[in-house]
Amino acid sequence: MKHRWKNVHRHGLAAPAAFSRRGFLTGSAALATGAAGASLLGDGFIAPNAFAAAGTVNVEVDAGQNENPFRWKSAQMKSKFGFDTKLIGLPFVGQYEKLVSELTARSSAYDVLVFPPYFLGDFVALKFLRDLDQYKSLMDPKLADYLPVYRDPVIKRNGKTYALMYDGDLLQISYRTDLFENAKERQDFKAKYGYELAPPETWDQYMDIAAFFTRPPQLYGTAFYAARGFCYAWFVNIFAGLGGKWFDDDMKPGINTDAGIKALETLVKMKQYSPPNILQIDYPTLNEVFLNGSTAMVVQWDDLPLKVENPKMSKVVGRGGFAPCPVRSYMPYSRVMAVSAFSKDPENAYRLASYMQQPEVSITYVYDPDCGQDPYRVSQLKDDAVKNHEGKPTMSPAAAKSYVAAIRDGLKAGYPELSIPGAPRYLDILDLYVSQALAGSLSPKAALDSAAREWGGITDAEDKDAQKEAYTAWIKSFKDAGVQY
Amino acid sequence: MTATAPAFTGRRRQRRVAEAHLGWWMIAPVLIVLAANSIFPLVYAVFVSFHNFQLLIPVPHRFVGFANYARIFRDALFWSSLEVTLWFIAGVVFLQFPAGFGLALLLHRLRRRQDLLVTLFLVPTIIAPSVAAFQWAQLYNYQFGPLNYILGLFHLGRPTWTADPQLALPALVFVDFWEWTPFMTLLLFAGLRSLPQNIVDAARVDGSTACQVAWRIYLPLLRPVIGIALVLRILMSVKLFDIIYVLTAGGPGTVTENLAYFTYIEGFRYFNLGYACALAILQLIAVSLLAKLLIRMTRRPGVAHVIPAGGAA
Repeated sequence: MKHRWKNVHRHGLAAPAAFSRRGFLTGSAALATGAAGASLLGDGFIAPNAFAAAGTVNVEVDAGQNENPFRWKSAQMKSKFGFDTKLIGLPFVGQYEKLVSELTARSSAYDVLVFPPYFLGDFVALKFLRDLDQYKSLMDPKLADYLPVYRDPVIKRNGKTYALMYDGDLLQISYRTDLFENAKERQDFKAKYGYELAPPETWDQYMDIAAFFTRPPQLYGTAFYAARGFCYAWFVNIFAGLGGKWFDDDMKPGINTDAGIKALETLVKMKQYSPPNILQIDYPTLNEVFLNGSTAMVVQWDDLPLKVENPKMSKVVGRGGFAPCPVRSYMPYSRVMAVSAFSKDPENAYRLASYMQQPEVSITYVYDPDCGQDPYRVSQLKDDAVKNHEGKPTMSPAAAKSYVAAIRDGLKAGYPELSIPGAPRYLDILDLYVSQALAGSLSPKAALDSAAREWGGITDAEDKDAQKEAYTAWIKSFKDAGVQY
Repeated sequence: MTATAPAFTGRRRQRRVAEAHLGWWMIAPVLIVLAANSIFPLVYAVFVSFHNFQLLIPVPHRFVGFANYARIFRDALFWSSLEVTLWFIAGVVFLQFPAGFGLALLLHRLRRRQDLLVTLFLVPTIIAPSVAAFQWAQLYNYQFGPLNYILGLFHLGRPTWTADPQLALPALVFVDFWEWTPFMTLLLFAGLRSLPQNIVDAARVDGSTACQVAWRIYLPLLRPVIGIALVLRILMSVKLFDIIYVLTAGGPGTVTENLAYFTYIEGFRYFNLGYACALAILQLIAVSLLAKLLIRMTRRPGVAHVIPAGGAA
């Protein structure tokens, strides 16, 4: 036996001199017995998380602040599961085309995919995602704690769970309390419009307040996301409040009905109460125009209040009030985590996704101003939970109370984001034509008629009956969750 | 001799055939790479353009004949993007060429520091277009941009350059002008340096002014170089994508969406690959015809007659 390993290959590898089948079988049996025995010895011999010897879980996420929670939790996941977390940031606008291009080519570059739920219809139809129900035994995702509006309608399709929540999004109003509570402003407003100055409850009131506070160049009444890429959401937010619906029962588009035309006319008119660079305003610039004190009131995603109260980011700390949007609050974007069908390590990918949305983990980041994540669990809607990931309060108790109440009230009247097969194309076409109306290239009616015509084409291309079925099922899931539609 | 001659001829023929075969074998790798990289994708794009090929709809792709091509001419967005493309081409012909020619003449007249100036001129051209676009995004910034700061000093207002439907396209044409005029200058300057100096000297002896020399000698003699420069730049402006993507994403609305960006949106945002391929093939045909026309114009006979008699002597 002594000489068995003495032969050395020319590449320097030792090779057995007399390698026999019996020797191989004996060795294998010994190794297997040893491994089995060792596992029975328990924690003292093999670490409990040895299953996770796999190296790295690749997470695709839109680049920027939304990567931060993964960064904050990567060390914990390394010690708990043994894998490293590698973040692959994609641009916010362009994320869909990049993902579709790569997943169509069956790329295994990503294990966990973080994307907005409106991609889900296409991704399930194209078989890009794994059914997560098969992995639930690895770690209970505790779905019973999800706010109903984010549970079945958002993460499930055809009765199967394809995603877990990472971010629950909602549009809401942030307004300047120093202006709204100022005695002279209130008096002047009442004299001019005949009712009290307060957070608006209708879109007509919103426009009155915006007009009242427009005092350029120091102060503008409002601002909104008007840049191409997501301006459609601010149109839908008004459209929802005016009673608009995505489609009728026969899949005829509802966007060019009276509610749609009035909504787009309102949005176009809103430009005159906004900063001059309104057509360039996107998510960060919309934050900026409120945080620098140049705007009295904005409709923005519900993470803005956390930034308002952060002295490092805001010139209006302590002067922010928060309210739901008039009548309905649109719920655009959000983010879910899903496991790629082409992941080579789906179990660890699931562990990562499930861990990130556990109640005790997610509560540490949904109120942190350094990320864009917002509440999606019942257990997160508590005033005293408004803290950053290090456990420090991020708002005064009064502001936290107003903020959490605005989220709760907004969700009660939440308007769901379209999430059926083809949703990214429906929404992108709508965005294109809303953007053309905002630029003045088309009238609101002409823009919406064109968008509706193209929506009809998408519906026909996707198969009208299948679309009708998907739309009906999706609406039913919202109604079952208690959302009026 | 009579018996060996046919054998000798036969061997020579065999050798020729073998040499011909060897030639084909030697160029075979290049042909294979060319076929794989250029010919196959082109042929496949033509094939796809005749099909209802939508990547996101999991149904078999149908042959639709010329339906995708017919749709192009009914599509209002095609016509608006064609108009934007023509504005960029107009920028090349009416801004970049005159400015490039003028700068090339100035450089040519300089006796010193030509090399240094040529290097400095080239800086905008060697910057990656996306990086240049980011720089211009800062320069055009409504609130913090230096351009608006300077205008503000003179109380000239603060335009919202890339957000204003009236200004966005001119703003982009100017970025293209800034980036690529030096390239035009360099090509024309190289052409000027290659011209025989004795013709110019003779014209000056005959009393020609600088303008006459430029108009009657340089321009006609540079016609082949001008043709190449214009063809290259027009092709590049038809393909222009980076600065539009970074600065405006085709907006506001679609006022800065050119054909290349429109094709990208159809192909990679909506994944209507059949339609996008039809658009691409149509552009290929149009650009090829345009390039051929321009090159033919530069090859027209009659260059010699513009050389003044005195110069020719």
